[in-house]
Amino acid sequence: MTYLLKRFRNLSCLVSAALTLLFLSGCNLNTRMSTFTVKGPVAETQLDLFMLTVWVTGFIFLSVGGFYAYVVIRFRETKDSTDALPAQGHGNPLIEIGLIGASVLLLVIIAVPTMKGIWYTHDVPDNEASLMGSWYDNEASSVSISEESASEPFIIRAIGYRWWWEFEYPQLGISTANEMVIPAGRPIHIELRSVDVIHSFWLPRIAGKVDLIPGRSNSMWIQAGDSIEAWENKSAFTGTDLEKEQAYKTYLEEEIHDYYYGMCAEYCGASHARMGFRAHVVKDSEFYQWIDKQLAGHQAPGEMDWETWYEAYDNSPETLTGDINEGLKLFMGRAKCATCHVVQGNPRAVGVAGPNLTNLADRHSIAAGWLNHQTPEKTVDTEKQYENFVKWIAKTDEVKPGNLMWKAKGAGIGELDPLLNEEEIRQLSHYLQSLK
Amino acid sequence: MSTKITDIPSTLQQSDLNQLKPEKSDIGLTRPDHSKNVFIDWLTTVDHKKIGLMYGTLALFFLLVGGVEALVIRTQLAVPENNLVSAQMYNQLFTMHGTTMIFLAIMPLNAAFFNFLVPLQIGARDVAFPRINAFSLWSFVAGALVINFGWLLQALEAFGLFSASGPTAGMNDFVPAMGWFGYAPLTSKEFTGAGTDFWIMGLQILGVASISASFNFIVTIINMRAPGLKMMRLPVFTWMTLIVSLLIIFAFPAITIALAQLMFDRVFGTNFFSVAGGGQPILWQHLFWIFGHPEVYILVLPAMGIVSEVLPTFSKKPLFGYSIVVFSGAVIGFLGFAVWSHHMFTTGLGKIATAAFSLLTMAIAVPTGVKIFNWVGTLWGGRVRFQAPMIFALGFVWMFMMGGFSGIMHSSAPADAQQQDSYFVIAHFHYVAIGGILLAIISGIYYWLPKMIGKMWQGNLNLWVAVMTVVGLNITFFPMHFLGLLGMPRRYHTYLSGFGWETYNMVCTIGSYILGLGVALLVVDIILCFRSKKPAGNDPWDARTLEWATSSPPKVYNFAKTPIVNARDALWADKYGPESRKLGAMDEAHGIHMPSQSWMPLIASLGFIPLGLGLSLMQAGVPYAGYAAIFGLVTITFGISLWAIEGPGGYHLHPKEAVEEA
Repeated sequence: MTYLLKRFRNLSCLVSAALTLLFLSGCNLNTRMSTFTVKGPVAETQLDLFMLTVWVTGFIFLSVGGFYAYVVIRFRETKDSTDALPAQGHGNPLIEIGLIGASVLLLVIIAVPTMKGIWYTHDVPDNEASLMGSWYDNEASSVSISEESASEPFIIRAIGYRWWWEFEYPQLGISTANEMVIPAGRPIHIELRSVDVIHSFWLPRIAGKVDLIPGRSNSMWIQAGDSIEAWENKSAFTGTDLEKEQAYKTYLEEEIHDYYYGMCAEYCGASHARMGFRAHVVKDSEFYQWIDKQLAGHQAPGEMDWETWYEAYDNSPETLTGDINEGLKLFMGRAKCATCHVVQGNPRAVGVAGPNLTNLADRHSIAAGWLNHQTPEKTVDTEKQYENFVKWIAKTDEVKPGNLMWKAKGAGIGELDPLLNEEEIRQLSHYLQSLK
Repeated sequence: MSTKITDIPSTLQQSDLNQLKPEKSDIGLTRPDHSKNVFIDWLTTVDHKKIGLMYGTLALFFLLVGGVEALVIRTQLAVPENNLVSAQMYNQLFTMHGTTMIFLAIMPLNAAFFNFLVPLQIGARDVAFPRINAFSLWSFVAGALVINFGWLLQALEAFGLFSASGPTAGMNDFVPAMGWFGYAPLTSKEFTGAGTDFWIMGLQILGVASISASFNFIVTIINMRAPGLKMMRLPVFTWMTLIVSLLIIFAFPAITIALAQLMFDRVFGTNFFSVAGGGQPILWQHLFWIFGHPEVYILVLPAMGIVSEVLPTFSKKPLFGYSIVVFSGAVIGFLGFAVWSHHMFTTGLGKIATAAFSLLTMAIAVPTGVKIFNWVGTLWGGRVRFQAPMIFALGFVWMFMMGGFSGIMHSSAPADAQQQDSYFVIAHFHYVAIGGILLAIISGIYYWLPKMIGKMWQGNLNLWVAVMTVVGLNITFFPMHFLGLLGMPRRYHTYLSGFGWETYNMVCTIGSYILGLGVALLVVDIILCFRSKKPAGNDPWDARTLEWATSSPPKVYNFAKTPIVNARDALWADKYGPESRKLGAMDEAHGIHMPSQSWMPLIASLGFIPLGLGLSLMQAGVPYAGYAAIFGLVTITFGISLWAIEGPGGYHLHPKEAVEEA
């Protein structure tokens, strides 16, 4: 029996040793999708609640678990144990009631903040600062928002497709795919829609997930970084208003402006693992610039206007030379890209089945976050970007098995006969790299 | 009752089973009783002990199948951007891992214990409906075959022996790949192929098996208790069986309806879950989880029952707060129907519903906590013996508690928004499923296998099993909490490096091999036990309940004389209690009436195979598959009709012990 006990002790030693090792090996909680290093009020509320549950259950673990271990050791059978039977007690109602009461009490500690949290995280706060009109500067942007838009929160519509994301900005009349750009410190109401199966929008450092369900209009809210009031309360800043604003700007710049990683969290079929997205959090002025650029779209290659270019394309395509022109010809012609993709500006690239490619080369990743080309300084690595375009066009089905760009009832590039050759892929990639 | 049986005891009547001759049934066929052919004997058996052993063996087999699937999954995830299996294959593996473990491993393992133990624990000769019991077993087999049929097709295709045409051509999806909870609309024809149909039909058949078994146990426990065995004297395991059976009766119809609707959507083009036709995908989630959450308790309550038997035995004390343990089991079962939407916190339920389900989920922690307190209370003042079943039961309490804690973390809906569909959830339910259910089941195997086969464990392999499973479990699943909180979503067939997930995944994979080795050692130990020369004796553990009062293995009639129970822990009171509490025995001079064996349950159940496969293949466009389905239906009808008119039959035994004592 002592042998057995010894083994049992060894076992618990082993377990605790293994767990310690684990803690030491992977302690870094500041990672790309960490729910610990949060950067927004929604994720922060969620983290606070999580930590509360950790403390409460940790307390139970230590008290009940410790007592349990003590009981097992104290009442183990030893050589000295007498043959007499232990007292055959059947229970004690008072102890039971006391413990039930204690459990309920501990749960109430979690329940009350949980209720508050549910209400807070549900939608943008009901106050003046949440309205788009309170911060959006019609002067600074080329888009003036309507009265109606000014009196509602800033809205982004996230639409899930197998396996990529569309981000529409209905109040601004623009749209992008897989990488959304959002202003720091501003509350955003996200409308969640799906065109096929259920997906889930998860941007862990900014907010927990909500599902995109076909036939159902879900929504959530996100905000990257604290509002100036919340920041003031937290940092206990004292100084003049001007200093305060400056310090708040520094806070946003140093801690919030960043490139955030998101992923689809609800299983949606073969390439579920390859349905990421990114949120580029910027200051207001950069956001306005991005809107302008997104709206303006692209000119035809060589500073041509589109009318002239298409005239040449229709009548004498051989006069359009160079990789970019060749690539664009393929884009509009043999490769059939324009059937499914929008390129803002290009009057004939208006397909809506695939991602919007306006300013594609400005994005830090393609294929819904699977192929990345970001430098450590968070700029675009153009060489890597070129490689990624080539890889994606040549091996769409391997990068993202089952996706519609490869096979779509005759419209996919995997169904071209013959398939795109290396030269054509090179030209297309060069054209795509010019989209910035 | 058949008129051919004489109810008058005769000294000429043989008490030896082997010398009895089979009789003709009411339809003129010879009953397969007393067959010397071991296959016929087992295929037609209605003996709850044999049925229990078959459930157990098949379930252990599927536990290993599900385990191998899990190991492939873990190997694929060991390093980022791994290519061991394709995305589609990975999706099939995790779908089948979940489905197999829940429906083909744990539920039948529980059923094995129900079958073997409940009649023994209540002093009965068999279950109330022995032939329905056989029907449940064989329907389970049919369902398991239908669900796994896709692997066969896929293997044939891989070897070039078969190629699919029709709508699923080239889709390579004969194996279900929509996750074990099959969220619509991923299950529609647009997105998945024949695998989904096999899954639907297989689960439907398993539902038939579970529901018929549950009715059987409810009737058995309520009606067939030995004299004096009042409800509040029932062993806790039997209580949990009763509660679980009731849960199955109430929970399974929800999934039966959901599956039927889904089948209609796929096969006949209805629009329950299709948005284009005005359906609602979210409806599936409600229907599934109002089954799915009670299902969690269907899996875990028997485990709690096992532990509530083992802890008192090995601390030589009665269960602390028996009535509260029983009552909290019932409360868990009841509340289990009121928390389903906590699986759906991220679906946009709205504030009020989220708050309500959040609070109810917290509430369910109370009766669960009560059980833990009572188990600790049972040990207090006892004499804790670290024998194999006890080691696993002690491990269960510890590990189940861990799973409970992460459960409390989920109950806070805003916190759950970060945890839902991440590896944190995987960690949570594997602590419950392995740390809780599997450890308790292993404890049960160590506790009751000597009773089942009459042989005693030898050697210290059980310690290695304990070390490997507990250590493996913790190394595999503890890091998953961190993986989830660091943002790794579940059901990803691969992942990029740079997210801080690499180390954790590698550690998890190593842990899973240790855990796998532990389970393999368990199988080895079981085989060694079967080969053991050491007889178990009636009561090897100095146990408390009635099953230990009879021989190991029990005779076909269980008890030579029906016991009369005068105390809660009937055998314990018989051994150590006052005279008034000792076991009595019924005077049964007329002999023991045994049920006849029958082919009909087997035939009726086998009809489910062509029915299930036929409907699935019909949807996939296989010609004439519809006729197979009709053939299946006819077989079922035929089997059940003959079963009804063959008459129950039966024969009488006069065991020596009973005769001699008289």
